[in-house]
Amino acid sequence: MEDTSVVQLHQNKPEDECPNLSLRPLDVSDIDAFMVWATDEKVARFCTWEPYTNKEDGLSFIKNTIVPHPWLRAICIDDRPIGTISVTSNSGNDKCRGELGYVLASKYWGRGIATRVVGMVAETIFDEWPHLERLEALVDVENLGSQRVLEKAGFQREGVLRKYVVLKGRSRDMVMFSLLSTDHCPT
Amino acid sequence: MEIDLSKISLRPFKLEDADDFFLFAGDDQFTMNLRWKTLTSKQEALDHIKDVCIPHPWRRSICIDDRSIGFVSIFPFSGEEDKFKANFGIGVAVKYWGQGIATRAAKMAVSQFFVDFPEVVRLEAYVDVENLGSQRVVEKAGFQKEGVLRKYAYVKGKLRDLVLYSFLSTDFQAEAEGCLP
Repeated sequence: MEDTSVVQLHQNKPEDECPNLSLRPLDVSDIDAFMVWATDEKVARFCTWEPYTNKEDGLSFIKNTIVPHPWLRAICIDDRPIGTISVTSNSGNDKCRGELGYVLASKYWGRGIATRVVGMVAETIFDEWPHLERLEALVDVENLGSQRVLEKAGFQREGVLRKYVVLKGRSRDMVMFSLLSTDHCPT
Repeated sequence: MEIDLSKISLRPFKLEDADDFFLFAGDDQFTMNLRWKTLTSKQEALDHIKDVCIPHPWRRSICIDDRSIGFVSIFPFSGEEDKFKANFGIGVAVKYWGQGIATRAAKMAVSQFFVDFPEVVRLEAYVDVENLGSQRVVEKAGFQKEGVLRKYAYVKGKLRDLVLYSFLSTDFQAEAEGCLP
């Protein structure tokens, strides 16, 4: 089975360099852009959700989950959303940790975009949330593309957590990555 | 004082264990790596047994000759997504450290727990990086070390690096069939 999630390690072409990447909130007016990645089974493969099949469900998700989210941004090229990146927050004894997650439309895979965006978030989240000490990410053992993204973004691989989640009815082993506020991001 | 490990047993807590409970849980060294505060009175011990130990989904007293010298707890996570996982904790009275009692109790607890909770697939133990004694206990009991989670959580107000161990229901089956040490 072709593994479409593997990041292609090619030299960046000039047209790939510095697309006008930015982060901003996502709202219901972005529904059409949202549906591009949300309906894509390649994108949904390692996510908890199944590909969306109708706009109403997409709108509900944006209203009920995305808008109230403690920290979620649309990944934009020229202000057009091509994915999202988010950090969860915890309380009490766990407030030192936040979990990073992201999705990117498959057409934009393999160009280092996710790596750059993760780097952008790592630069700002510790300042925005002074109580945050640890940004962590859990990646399916088969999701080599995202493992590569996090390694390039300077995250440390801590270990494989066996049968850590049940994803779409199957137990999955997940790789745990972390970036501490005290770690240095590679430039 | 060598203890014959065959005298170790596990059973639910009783209110009558309060005196013995206060003996071990009243010691700072015992509670050092636990979230509990050191108990300061027999009344607190009684309350802890009544309010925490007895209603707990799976907590057992570790006993020698039916006298309580510690506890072992396994706490299944709540919620649809997480109920296949559970958290393991153990503590033995300081005076009984170094004799293999905790390891023995841990092995007994894991065996019984997977029978009592067949839907649990993954048992986890989080151990402070500096708590070498407990790391040895869970390793000898058959848990597998998965990694060190840096600055993972606060325990008693201090940010800790925690070593994560797991014991899967499939490890348990393999061990029972003699495939794992």
